[in-house]
Amino acid sequence: MTVKEIINKYGNKRENLLQILHDIQNQSLQNYINEKEVNLLSKEMKIPVSDIKGTASFYTMYSFIPRGKYIIRVCESPPCHLLGAQTIFKAIEAKLGIKEGETTKDGLFTLEGTSCLGICGVAPAMMINEEAYGNLNEEKIGKILDQIQEKESN
Amino acid sequence: MYNLRAHVLLCYGGACISSNAGSVKEAMEKAIAKAGLQNEVDVVTTGCMGTCELGPIMVIYPEGVFYQKVKSEDAEEIVQEHLLKGRVVKRLFYKKPKTEEMIEMFNDIDFFKLQKKIALRNCGIINPLEIEEYIAADGYMALGKVLTEMTPQQVIEEMKKSGLRGRGGAGFPTGLKWQFTAASPGKQKYVCCNADEGDPGAFMDRSILEGDPHSVMEAMMICGYAIGADQGYIYVRAEYPLAVERLSIAIEQAKKNELLGKNILGTDFNFDIEIRMGAGAFVCGEETALMRSIEGKRGEPRPKPPYPAQKGLFECPTVLNNVETFANIPYIILNGADDFASVGTEKSRGTKVFALAGDINNTGLIEVPIGMPLGTIIYDIGGGIPNNKKLKAVQIGGPSGGCIPTDHLNVKVDYESLQELGAIMGSGGLIVMDEDTCMVDLARYFMEFIQEESCGNCTPCRQGTRIMLNILERICQGKGKMEDLDILEELSEQIKQTSLCGLGQTAPNPIIATLRYFRDEYIEHIRDKKCRAGVCAELVYSPCSNECPASVNVPGYLAYTKEGNFKKALEIHLKNNPFPAVCGRVCPHQCEAKCRRNDLDSAVSIRSVKRFMADSIDDYLKCFPEKQNSNGIKVAVIGSGPSGLSNAYFLTMLGYEVTVFESEAKAGGMLTYAIPSYRLPKNIVEKEIQALSRYGVKIKTNSKIGKDITINELKKQGFKAFYIAIGTGDSIMPAIEGIDGNNRVISGLDFLYKINNNEKISVGQEVVVIGGGNTAIDAARTAKRMGAGVTIVYRRTREEMPAEIEEIKEAENEGIKIQLLQNIKSVKSNSNNKLAVEFLNMRLSEFDKSGRRRPVEIEASLFTREVDLLILAIGQKPSLGHLFDKEAIKLNRDGTIFCHSHKGETMSEDIFAGGDVVTGPSTVVEAIGQAQRAAEAIDKYLTDGRKEYPWNIMDEIEVKFDPEEEPVDYERAKNIIIPVGERDSFTEVEKTWDKVTACKEADRCLRCEFKKEEE
Repeated sequence: MTVKEIINKYGNKRENLLQILHDIQNQSLQNYINEKEVNLLSKEMKIPVSDIKGTASFYTMYSFIPRGKYIIRVCESPPCHLLGAQTIFKAIEAKLGIKEGETTKDGLFTLEGTSCLGICGVAPAMMINEEAYGNLNEEKIGKILDQIQEKESN
Repeated sequence: MYNLRAHVLLCYGGACISSNAGSVKEAMEKAIAKAGLQNEVDVVTTGCMGTCELGPIMVIYPEGVFYQKVKSEDAEEIVQEHLLKGRVVKRLFYKKPKTEEMIEMFNDIDFFKLQKKIALRNCGIINPLEIEEYIAADGYMALGKVLTEMTPQQVIEEMKKSGLRGRGGAGFPTGLKWQFTAASPGKQKYVCCNADEGDPGAFMDRSILEGDPHSVMEAMMICGYAIGADQGYIYVRAEYPLAVERLSIAIEQAKKNELLGKNILGTDFNFDIEIRMGAGAFVCGEETALMRSIEGKRGEPRPKPPYPAQKGLFECPTVLNNVETFANIPYIILNGADDFASVGTEKSRGTKVFALAGDINNTGLIEVPIGMPLGTIIYDIGGGIPNNKKLKAVQIGGPSGGCIPTDHLNVKVDYESLQELGAIMGSGGLIVMDEDTCMVDLARYFMEFIQEESCGNCTPCRQGTRIMLNILERICQGKGKMEDLDILEELSEQIKQTSLCGLGQTAPNPIIATLRYFRDEYIEHIRDKKCRAGVCAELVYSPCSNECPASVNVPGYLAYTKEGNFKKALEIHLKNNPFPAVCGRVCPHQCEAKCRRNDLDSAVSIRSVKRFMADSIDDYLKCFPEKQNSNGIKVAVIGSGPSGLSNAYFLTMLGYEVTVFESEAKAGGMLTYAIPSYRLPKNIVEKEIQALSRYGVKIKTNSKIGKDITINELKKQGFKAFYIAIGTGDSIMPAIEGIDGNNRVISGLDFLYKINNNEKISVGQEVVVIGGGNTAIDAARTAKRMGAGVTIVYRRTREEMPAEIEEIKEAENEGIKIQLLQNIKSVKSNSNNKLAVEFLNMRLSEFDKSGRRRPVEIEASLFTREVDLLILAIGQKPSLGHLFDKEAIKLNRDGTIFCHSHKGETMSEDIFAGGDVVTGPSTVVEAIGQAQRAAEAIDKYLTDGRKEYPWNIMDEIEVKFDPEEEPVDYERAKNIIIPVGERDSFTEVEKTWDKVTACKEADRCLRCEFKKEEE
């Protein structure tokens, strides 16, 4: 969908800004909102660029710089922390060679932390795009990432 | 229409889906089709059933059989066996933690049995994707009732009568909130649902939205009708894509069925619901921030008043309730306020959903009547703490909450009681933490969380929490100062008072609570540079050494043992603990519980390696550390048990002239006179004591202080300081009839003393030992060796027995009976020279201060037994006698010596104390650890102390180690235990390993200390 179409889907009222930003970002292959889109949004919704950016930057999920096709969000909430979220981070960092906040060179993965994913019963947990994974350990993470890499190389 | 004979309910909650419930569904449907049962059996995907860590889970009706951890490979067997042949698949049953008992039926599992489901009434029962299933479960009946039979005011009155309070955390009465909003002037009003739930770890809102979305929507409509609103918003966290998806489907279906939109159910009531998604901002759970976010703005909170009831969304009067609150409402309308109010407590009606997480056997979602004791939730529903670890605290209410230590397990979980303890109900996150949790690190973690989530709007929250975080980080690195604690308290108070919104006002709570209940841990981090939980990396050499009360360099002696350099290994051990052969036999080896190898296979058998190492060298003299220059100062040690001898040894090492005074004929204290020789042979004790004598420790036996010589006389002889380590030589006797002066009744200690002193004593045929500690087990096994039939009677259950598990097992192997939940009532002497002992049956009731359940008598359960000898081993206390002037020393209530520091300083500056006489009955290694610290205090008193003490320096281990190399892959070596049939009276039950076994076992060490040296 074009930016215009997305705006038309919700209406150009201010209250729809966050939903529109979600949609724009979700259809980006690099999981971000680019400069052109922000400008267009500003024009169509009659909100200053600074206001759009100021609002979006309040929320951790929006990005104005390109990210990986897959965003790995490791849950950092207390139940996951207690059961070893830090080792999960380390395992992913070792496997992909990136640190929290970074994107792999092939543009496939970005590693981020997230607040509670709400699947604490299977902590430590993470979400890759909209797919949730629980009861993680190094081995399981390896398999999950291998599968995605394999899928993408085909 | 088919006549279905069975339903397979498969949990399709977020957690179970992440455990591959999807593939199980496919496999089940395939297997059912293959068996031709598709017209007889239906697979229903439901919302969260609650037991998330057992997922994927399945319940098969009509029987209600519960299967756990189902894999797609199991589908075929379930269909073939259960659905076709009617034979249950036992291997997929739920197993009770600890006992491993298998349970077949859903309703027989404690986790489910003790719950009361109102808000979660449909979760795990209906398919949330089918509106028909909701309607079949009385869905939208409440809406119908409201629209056709009740006026808006009547709805509000009903809500008020029910006593329902907001489940989002603050607990504001829902009916009142509705009334205020209804009464506010304005044509346009709104209903908002807060699904941006508060505390991390509390996922009930997600589960309700995913498992029963219609109930929330129905409640929002009821609210709309009551307050005069026609528009509702559900604000959902973006982290819950599945909830958003299911909610969207539910809204679509409701619209299609004309349950949303205009003229609902043929009345003139109109209502619409829209979903708004968050984008990752914790503060948006705060109501004013949430409404700003719905408006498409930055989610920054604003000051209140005005409250949302006056000026809420788009400046209009708004009701904002959380998901769980809403989920209760259709039930209240349908079943009546009185029915709802009959559950819970006076001030907190109904139920509350909690998310159990952390170190607990059954994690997941539970709903219980408000007011249930915390201990019941943790032990009965939650199944207790895994891996035999101890409960440390329960965190309730997330980053805004607090933690509750084990001495409050009886607290009734309701809004007020929790607040009194410094915690809050919050949205119901209940995180259980075991002994391996560092409370300072926990506070640091929460402060980091708040720092990240603070919106930055007001200074106290933005800057104040930053400063607090810096301080906590410093403390965790061992760089804290004692003043830091005052600063933390002061800042906490200020941030609480001056922050703009709830996030800031509650931000200091985790610090306040941990300082209140776990101040000792803060102090240990600051003063001793010690993290007892072994979490704070900078303070931990290795988990095993960190756990050892004597801080022995465990990886060090394991490494040298592996190399065959036993002399060097022993040198390392002796620097911190002069009793390796004794500890190699009787130490409870807490170090092994912390061994990281447990995560791989099982712990290194540290104690057995130690035993081999010590036994392999006959003469310790060459392995002791070099003595520092003699200073000629005389110190007297009273008592020659492990603490006294160790203290004398450490002071000798520092150059003092030490004399140990012992009232008995032989040195060694409990090692000589209490621990039986089948566990600790006397020649082993003698070997180590003789080594100490040769090192320079003078021991004077047969000299009782206060009788043979007084402390004042010793002072005149030039002794400058005194270390009291006389242990706990007196037995505590129960206040019951018939034991005084009865020669068939003896205390456990006296019994063991007589045996070890070669005195004659006859045990007869039937011996009963009362007690559950090591003394009781030692006495029982000794009596058994003398030919009696022995029964141990303990008033609690096996789990509470303080004795070591291995000892209890060996006692049973030797044929000793253990009667649990019984206690002694009275003793009478019979004419046939036997005792008639009356017993009572006991049961466990509420939790006491120790975090254990208190045993209480069961009425009319009295029974009598004839015994020949009754041994009472229920407790011990110090026997101070005429040791010193009453004024010189302050005692604790239990008769132990009061020390004003952890280094054994008493109220007299030249008198120090340590070991059991201070702690009450404890372990050898604990006594040695205290001797170390007291040696430092004595040295400081006499000579101003020194910078470093040998036992505090961890020597570099010069054994090659390659961290890249895979650890050796073999299992823990077994101890050599003589079979019961071959055990004779008093020879040692366990044998020392050979060299090959010991060296191989030592090589299993993962060298956890290694990384640290590299950095």
